[in-house]
Amino acid sequence: MTQPERPLATDLRLAADRDLKGLILKHYLGAYRAKRPFSRRPVAWVTSGAPVEILLALGILPIYPENYGALVGSRKAAVPYCESAEQAGYSQDLCSYARTNIGSMLTGRGELAGRPLPRPDLLVAAKNICDVVVKWWEVTARHFDCPLFILDTPFAADGLTPDQVAYVRGQLEELVVVASKAVRRPAPPPAAFERDLLKVLDLTRQATGLWQEIQTLRQASPTPASALDMFTNLFPIVTLRGTQACVDYYRQVRDELAERVRRGVGAVPGERFRLLWDNIAIWYDFDLVRYLHARGAAFVGETYTDAWGIYQFSPEDEKDPLGAMARQYSLILLNIGLGTRKERLFNMLRAQRADGAVFHSCRSCKTYSLGQYELARAVRDELGLPVLVLEADMTDSRAYAAGPAMTRIDAFLELLTSKA
Amino acid sequence: MLERLVAAGADPLAHRPSDRPSLGYVCSYVPEEVILAAGFHPVRLGARPGPTGPADSLLQTFACSFARALLDGLLSGRAAGLSGVVFAYTCDSLRAAMEAWKVRAPAGSFIHFLNLPARLEGPGVDTYAASEVQRLADALAGVKGGRQVTAERLAEATRLVADLRRSLGRLDRVRSSRPDLLPGSVFIAVARGAQALERSEAARLLAALADEFEAAAARPSQPAGRPRLLVSGGYLETEQPLRLIEESGADIVADDLCLGWRRIAFAEDDEPNSLAELAARYLRRVPCAAKHPPDPRFDFVVRLADEHQVAGGVFLLQKFCDPHAFDYPALRDRLEATGRPTLLLEVEQGSVASGQARTRLEAFVERLRAGGGSS
Ligand code: SF4
Ligand code: SF4
Repeated sequence: MTQPERPLATDLRLAADRDLKGLILKHYLGAYRAKRPFSRRPVAWVTSGAPVEILLALGILPIYPENYGALVGSRKAAVPYCESAEQAGYSQDLCSYARTNIGSMLTGRGELAGRPLPRPDLLVAAKNICDVVVKWWEVTARHFDCPLFILDTPFAADGLTPDQVAYVRGQLEELVVVASKAVRRPAPPPAAFERDLLKVLDLTRQATGLWQEIQTLRQASPTPASALDMFTNLFPIVTLRGTQACVDYYRQVRDELAERVRRGVGAVPGERFRLLWDNIAIWYDFDLVRYLHARGAAFVGETYTDAWGIYQFSPEDEKDPLGAMARQYSLILLNIGLGTRKERLFNMLRAQRADGAVFHSCRSCKTYSLGQYELARAVRDELGLPVLVLEADMTDSRAYAAGPAMTRIDAFLELLTSKA
Repeated sequence: MLERLVAAGADPLAHRPSDRPSLGYVCSYVPEEVILAAGFHPVRLGARPGPTGPADSLLQTFACSFARALLDGLLSGRAAGLSGVVFAYTCDSLRAAMEAWKVRAPAGSFIHFLNLPARLEGPGVDTYAASEVQRLADALAGVKGGRQVTAERLAEATRLVADLRRSLGRLDRVRSSRPDLLPGSVFIAVARGAQALERSEAARLLAALADEFEAAAARPSQPAGRPRLLVSGGYLETEQPLRLIEESGADIVADDLCLGWRRIAFAEDDEPNSLAELAARYLRRVPCAAKHPPDPRFDFVVRLADEHQVAGGVFLLQKFCDPHAFDYPALRDRLEATGRPTLLLEVEQGSVASGQARTRLEAFVERLRAGGGSS
């Protein structure tokens, strides 16, 4: 990847970021500690759409290879891992999170003080985000000879039928049994388990509530947080959802952003344009976003970060928490039809008062990216907003040419200026 | 007979019967029995090879070329004479092609997504699959020209399809014992025709063809000494990749392809009595890479290699196909552990880029001839 010279804005970092580093460190150290001899805390590798509350309620520590992929990507370190996976026969066309992880697994090297992720006691993958994770987790299960549970979610294009909800709910019940067995514990008595689950769900609800408040605060002009803040601050809602630490952290972020709004402080000095980002971040090129910031373009929303606000379990759900989870986990952004996705996107553009949208067409991620051309067309033709489609990848920088991207960004900025 | 089947496979839409409505379907997991029982002629929609046109404005180039070409065909009006299209849940690419077609299809088009489970095992899988197949049957009954799927109609349809599969099974045995008479590429072309032609005609032709080939195979022959190969992959838009292998001096005697054995071989040979039984039967058939768990498929491929005494395997990997690409290294290792060398070829837009592939294939065949198990 050749990096063209480009004037960049310096980030106005959130004070909360300092605590974030500590949270990330603590999380991964906790996972390594769990693997020490005599530790009794089992570790599960889970996908970002896995019903993690069940594992937490069972005392299992979840870790996220996708998040690890993002971490490696943001250190611009993914390519050698991807290459190791490719040498073993995994096609370069496969998702780069998967290749990064498989490469790290096969070589026994990693980016956490040189270590790969700690060995799993259990693997849980949910198909709700893509078919990739099912296959990737199968590879992992073979590698570690580790029990694997697949949560099979029907595609919820136009909502869910009762049979579909029942199918997913049944699997959640099955997961309780399978997970307990995998970590060599007796399955908990149903009443006790439900009590623990409800506690975790309540913590998830609190965190997603705060997360949504944060997104709402970004409606202000100037916006108190742009894409970089949000991409960085995604870690707890993905990885620590269902814990008190997550709630505490977002309370802090929410307060800080509310304070910025009160004082009229924007994340991007001289905010002129308000943009929306679609798809995963380009982890190895945050400078692209800084370049936009330097020109007064701020991100007021991302479909990617917004997606984590969906897990809103209500007190109503207490009657049937597993049923509620079956619905929530089937209706996530990557498992709904294009029509619903468009509706959500339009609502978001309106609510955040966006002037345009940037679509990262991410080669790795078919579920997120296929359909974007139609979404971009709709935003342009039906809402009359400028759109920019960037062909790239979230971690594998070999699939990305920064030069041509810059040219397209400049043209997009001109269009925004002419419309302003 | 052979010509008619092959021609139908090459151009399914031109070979529709005129006395009843036709319905397109995508994926061998769509139970054609249900479409037949609902009064339609089922046409397995393929994809024309070659560069795509209108689909490029809807799907990025990293969707598999089969999904793109399929969408392209639909957008170019190829579904115009059909009563609708049934898709099945396999992979992200096909799901996206279906979603894109929903956006652009003419108003009122019938589009059904058969939301089959990805898991083949588990407490609720059978019940759930049955409910989805029932939903398909109900939906078809509501389409113009459709009718209720009654027990008798279903029985008749399952008999017909089972019959057809049995004849294909007989032909498969001929392909294995006498690939000089029935090359693998021709076998697949015939199998392709069998999901395009009106099914009772197809069943009749296949039975007669099987008789003929079996009689011919019974006559003594000289062994040709060509290495026996197994091919593994997904859907093939054309037989070009298979012909290329044969031209390189090997025989294709067994397959793990959507069009071939995976569709033909069902675990039990009985005829299901209800939609629920039918659904269960599809779950127990030879699985594809998009289904979980993967081990039954790996075991199946190794067993197939043993049964047909193949010397090696060729993987025909559709470019950008995630399910197959993820399975490839493990399946390669499983096959190679039995002393069988393998070769990987990438298929795009229906064919294998022949220049380099030919050289690699010839070297591969040479190695097999030399008895080269060790690499
Ligand atoms: S394909 Fe997309 S959703 Fe799936 S693991 Fe990769 S990046 Fe995540
Ligand atoms: S070839 Fe692979 S990616 Fe393409 S439709 Fe089939 S399973 Fe999906």
